[in-house]
Amino acid sequence: MTLATATQPTEARDKAGVSHSGSRRSGPDTAFHLLVAASALLVLVVLGGLVVLMGVGGSQAFRTFGLGFAFRDVWNPVADQYGAWAPLFGTIVSTLIGVIIALPLAFGTAFWLTAMAPPRIAAIVGTAVQLLAAVPSIIFGMWGFFTIVPFMARTVQPFLTHHFKHVPGIRFIIHGAPFGTGLMTAGLVLAVMIAPFMTAVMRDVFAAMPNMLRESAYGLGATRWDVMWKVVVPWSRSGMIGAIVLGMGRALGETMAVTFVIGNVTAVGWSLFAPRSTVASLIALQFPESPAGSLRLSSLLALGFILMLLSFASLALARMLRGDTK
Amino acid sequence: MTPETLQGMTQDFMMTETDPQMVKSPEVALAVRNLNFYYGENHALHDISVDFPARRVTAMIGPSGCGKSTLLRVFNRMYDLYPGQRATGEVIFDGRNVLDRDLDLNILRARVGMVFQKPTPFPMSIYDNIAFGVRLHEKLNKADMDARVQDVLTRVALWNEVRDRLNAPASGLSGGQQQRLCIARSIATRPEVLLLDEPTSALDPISTARIEELLDELKEEFTIAIVTHNMQQAARCADQVAFFYMGRLIEVDSADRMFTNPKQQQTQDYITGRFG
Repeated sequence: MTLATATQPTEARDKAGVSHSGSRRSGPDTAFHLLVAASALLVLVVLGGLVVLMGVGGSQAFRTFGLGFAFRDVWNPVADQYGAWAPLFGTIVSTLIGVIIALPLAFGTAFWLTAMAPPRIAAIVGTAVQLLAAVPSIIFGMWGFFTIVPFMARTVQPFLTHHFKHVPGIRFIIHGAPFGTGLMTAGLVLAVMIAPFMTAVMRDVFAAMPNMLRESAYGLGATRWDVMWKVVVPWSRSGMIGAIVLGMGRALGETMAVTFVIGNVTAVGWSLFAPRSTVASLIALQFPESPAGSLRLSSLLALGFILMLLSFASLALARMLRGDTK
Repeated sequence: MTPETLQGMTQDFMMTETDPQMVKSPEVALAVRNLNFYYGENHALHDISVDFPARRVTAMIGPSGCGKSTLLRVFNRMYDLYPGQRATGEVIFDGRNVLDRDLDLNILRARVGMVFQKPTPFPMSIYDNIAFGVRLHEKLNKADMDARVQDVLTRVALWNEVRDRLNAPASGLSGGQQQRLCIARSIATRPEVLLLDEPTSALDPISTARIEELLDELKEEFTIAIVTHNMQQAARCADQVAFFYMGRLIEVDSADRMFTNPKQQQTQDYITGRFG
């Protein structure tokens, strides 16, 4: 579009009218125009197709269990009773744990890399962050399975149980047999997975901040802490929200890594150390066993539909949070 | 002793109160001695020695890359933020060498304010932009802070324009207003020295004229060091002018003599526009 208006500035005003017919354009220009417009429209088609597929596929489940399907705490293939609450709960809580752990890590790394690290070390660490972001999730899954799960089972859980067993308010969070799997383990693995992404985005945001603005704050005698909290953070607020949403999006849909370490039990409860399941892991595990046309398959598709809504909601939330600054 | 100096003395400066030596004129606010500056391997300033008289405007002129901004950034140790940049020599300010390793930079920077090429309002309200620096060093109650904010905004002739929207974001102000806000922000911590690094280079002529008028008033109270590319600006505002070329101080003299009768050929060439 910019190309077209740049070459024909006098037609810029009626470009909207011309663009569909293409009558006043040369051949290659029209072809180019149609091509880019088509690729843009394809986005809408694919998005619409996904929503329809999930919605129609899951309609049997929604008809059978009503819209309350989302909050039914039952997943029993034997009795053919299904509800989304257990995996939904697992998805939301593991994502939140992941984001809460990853956020300070990513923020600290990004701030250090842009504001404090010696250039040579910053280059090395920066590359390492990018490499970490490029590691496929299945690798994190295996790492979680062989390293984090035994660590949680043998060290963290016994330690917590021993020291906090009788503390009300904490007891119910750490309750459970030391399997090592569960929401906390999944959250930790997710945090390690999404932190590099969030770091990369935040680093770009911090780097985009004018040096002069940073220097103005230091120039008034501000400490690094003041500069970070009172100038850098407010200035980069919308970029940081973008980073958080990117991380959340990845954590919400993450399948393989989570399936390895969450234990895959469709139950709801406050213990962060008991086996649970997430929407994505449940779909991945049960899809092959669900015959076409069954209520079970429809319920899995309905789960997918809900997961999509959840992602859209997080995006909408980000827009809302970002919107009120401008 | 001029009335200006007397007026300056009545202000509650740490320096004038604690050091009776300083009230005797002629005063030197900043004394630079044998200063060398390095960007890594690059030797950017060579053996600079120059005095900045108190409550006068000293303009630093010279072609791009001559080291004038670098010198400015030594006075508040701004270069300390960047690894690989270092300075040797002495910059005596209030009896201490600014380059001392164990100097408290936060206090130094409260006493040596800086304004940049472009307005740099913080992402907060007009009021908080002023209060930000003050809160770093002083604990004021609401009324005192309000008074401080009004005082500095009045002095930069911004009060009447913003008094009804102190809580609005500073980014909503025009470029010239933003730059005056930045000056107000710098003087709100009650510094003794004000460093201005081409403060009008991003402003229109009218805004520029207002800033220049402002400098005339501010010098009654502050020692001002201004870097400028604009020869007329140096002639209009400065009491003393220093000409730099290729990292060396070529000549320093009163503005009158510098622009009418420079001693060095290079200075003559530069101010008459033959190079630079």
